[in-house]
Amino acid sequence: MTKSTAQLKIINRLHVYRAEQRLTQEQLAKAIGVTRATIVAMEGGGYNPSLELAFRIARFFKTDINAIFSIEEESE
Amino acid sequence: MNRFDRVILKVFLYELPIILLYFISISIFGLEAAAQRNSYAKVWYDFGGCFVFGSWMVVSLCLSMRLTVSASCREKVLAKLTFLKERDEREVLLTGQAAKNTMLTTLAILLFLFCLSCFQISIYQVPPGQAVDGKSRVLSLGLQFDFINSTTKKPPQTDGTLEKENLVSYTALPLSSSSVIIGLIGWQIVSYNYLMRRAMK
Repeated sequence: MTKSTAQLKIINRLHVYRAEQRLTQEQLAKAIGVTRATIVAMEGGGYNPSLELAFRIARFFKTDINAIFSIEEESE
Repeated sequence: MNRFDRVILKVFLYELPIILLYFISISIFGLEAAAQRNSYAKVWYDFGGCFVFGSWMVVSLCLSMRLTVSASCREKVLAKLTFLKERDEREVLLTGQAAKNTMLTTLAILLFLFCLSCFQISIYQVPPGQAVDGKSRVLSLGLQFDFINSTTKKPPQTDGTLEKENLVSYTALPLSSSSVIIGLIGWQIVSYNYLMRRAMK
C-alpha cells in the first residue's frame, strides 16, 4: 500500500493585500474580527486560518480565496 | 449564568473582606477576650463569627455545587479565575492545546501521587538472636489502599516476639488531602497559563 507523504504548505499573501489597502495589522484584525496577534501569526506563516476565517478575509479584500491562499508542496 | 448564581457569587465575594477583617481582629486585636467585656466587640464577634462566616460557608458550598453542574456558571467564573482568553479562533485552538497538555501532566502527577500514597517501604533491624539466615536487616515492601479515610489509627503490626528497630520507614504520602487538592488547583492554573503564554509567543 502506498502512502502519500508529501507535506502541503499553505502560503498566504495577506501582507501584500494589506499593504495594497494601506491597512495596519490592528485595522485588519478589527475588520475581520480577530486579534492583532492572529494577523501577525498568519503573516508569519505560524498559523493557518480556518476555512471560515479564510473566506472572511477573502470577502473583506473582495477577491477570490485562491488569490490570497495557495498550497505548495514541501520538498522533503 | 442565572440570577441565583449571580447573587451567590456576589455574596461570596462581598463577604470575603468581612471575614478577613474578622480573623484579623481575632488574631491581632484579641476579639475573643474583648467580646466578654465590651458589648460592641460582642456584637462584632457574634455577627462576624456566626452570621457572616456561617453564611459564607453555606454560600461557598452552593457556589461550588453550581460550578460543578452549570456550564455557563463555570464559563463565567472559572474562565476569569484562570485568566482564560478565547478572543478569536487562534486563541481557542491554543487554549485547547494548553488545556490538553495541562490535563495530561495533571494526570501524570495524579498517577505519581497515587503511587506515593499506596506504597509502603520500611527497612528495619532485628536483634542478632532473631536474625534469619544470619541477616539482621529486613526490607519490607507493601501496598496500602483505603477507599475511605479511617479515623482510628491502626496499631503498628508486630510479630509478637519480634523487636524491630526501624532504619527507614515510608508509609503513604506525608501530605493532607487538603494540601494535595490546593496544590493541584494551583498547578492547574499555573500550568495552563504557562503553556498558553508559551504558545502565544
